Amino acid sequence: MRRLLALVLLVQALHGGPANAAANNLVLVVTDPYLEMHSGPGRGFPVIYVIGRDELVTVLYSRTDWFKVRASRGNEGWVRRAELARTLLETGEAAPIPPYPDFASHRWELGAGYGVYNRENLVTTYADFGLTTSLDVELAVQQAFGTLDNRYIATLGVRHTLIPEWKWFSPTAGIGGGYQYIQDKVPPAPLQKSNEMAYVSLGARGFITRRFLWRVDWRHYVVFNNLNVFEDLEEWKFGLAVFF
Amino acid sequence: MEIRLSCILLAAALLSGCSWFHRGNKAPPEVVAEQPQGEPSIIEPQVPRRAVKTPHIKAKDFELGGYYGVLSIQDFGTNPLYGVRAAYHVSEDIFLEAYLARSKAGTTSLEDVFPDITVVSDSGRRFTYYDLDVGYNVLPGEIFLGRGHAFNSALYVTVGMGDVKFADKDQFALNLGVGERLLITDWLAVHVDVRDHIFETSLTGRTKNVDNIEATIGLTVFY
Repeated sequence: MRRLLALVLLVQALHGGPANAAANNLVLVVTDPYLEMHSGPGRGFPVIYVIGRDELVTVLYSRTDWFKVRASRGNEGWVRRAELARTLLETGEAAPIPPYPDFASHRWELGAGYGVYNRENLVTTYADFGLTTSLDVELAVQQAFGTLDNRYIATLGVRHTLIPEWKWFSPTAGIGGGYQYIQDKVPPAPLQKSNEMAYVSLGARGFITRRFLWRVDWRHYVVFNNLNVFEDLEEWKFGLAVFF
Repeated sequence: MEIRLSCILLAAALLSGCSWFHRGNKAPPEVVAEQPQGEPSIIEPQVPRRAVKTPHIKAKDFELGGYYGVLSIQDFGTNPLYGVRAAYHVSEDIFLEAYLARSKAGTTSLEDVFPDITVVSDSGRRFTYYDLDVGYNVLPGEIFLGRGHAFNSALYVTVGMGDVKFADKDQFALNLGVGERLLITDWLAVHVDVRDHIFETSLTGRTKNVDNIEATIGLTVFY
């Protein structure tokens, strides 16, 4: 019980707690006839308080598209992003409410998906950093579940988005290199536990909504081994990603 | 005559001097706005702007925590399970979640009846999994405790995939889950989850899909 109490106190300390919340928060002036405060960060939560025009509102933090705010009388509630964006700073400037990240100029992508690697199930995760709007560096960490072996694959490559202006569907192409580690399930053990690889890829990507995008990729791998003939592998995968 | 000449020279020197000073200044060409007669001219005050740093709004979209419960491993009995979870809330409806958990399988009925038979080695009884899921808040709402307390909550469903390591082998597993998130405060949540890990195995002689259902209770922190 003591341990649990200590853990709760530790979490509270790390979290900052409500005492620190009022330290340096954004204060905004309501310009609409009224600003509705909901009891929770969602469209269905009831309106519990209304802030009138020219009243001050303190923004505490955000969760997805909702902002936790405190009225000048101390009432707290959640306000929708679109409504809070229509308020002003005390200096009269527009409120610095961050808009949705722009899909055309986003920098980071984090995604996961399902695929087929060498005719086996594949779980894939990837992180992608945009050098320009059409050229990205991509790191993928994957696990393939075979009947004979289990493979961990890590690759690093560049990906070119051929027509970045096409928001909903744009073809992509890429090249890169990687490494696979083989864990055998059934004897005999593989000749090599790990291999270096190179790949070429073709695919497509597109915007879905808000922060989501979809990806489809086909990759052809050449696995470098100590035999005379290099091994060729194919991979298909599709996934969902979030962009920042 | 001399005075007149020196006046002209002085004027020329002054003019050239003025133009010399103007060269370094690079002032924009003076544009005289045509003003309607009788209205006062608008003067822009030369007041330096004060750099105002607006406070940053902290986003609390991440959720991190642990859970504990029971896992029913098909053919291997029901056993305690513990794990950690991390989530990122993309919108008020959708979140992405990752789980990592561990349990230990019991014995099969066959092993209970015939103690000499061993289906899985002792080290192979460890059941470890990771999952990558997408979740959807199906029924968000409030839960009331008496007259004075209301807690935000959401009933959600999750679907995803991952790896189950059991009997010293990694298997590809599909996950289906349903859970309830109850927010005690805006940053502390209690979860109650029921999830199924489905994978193919041939441990008991024939290849089949097994359902491994877990029921857990967890605590998470939003940050």
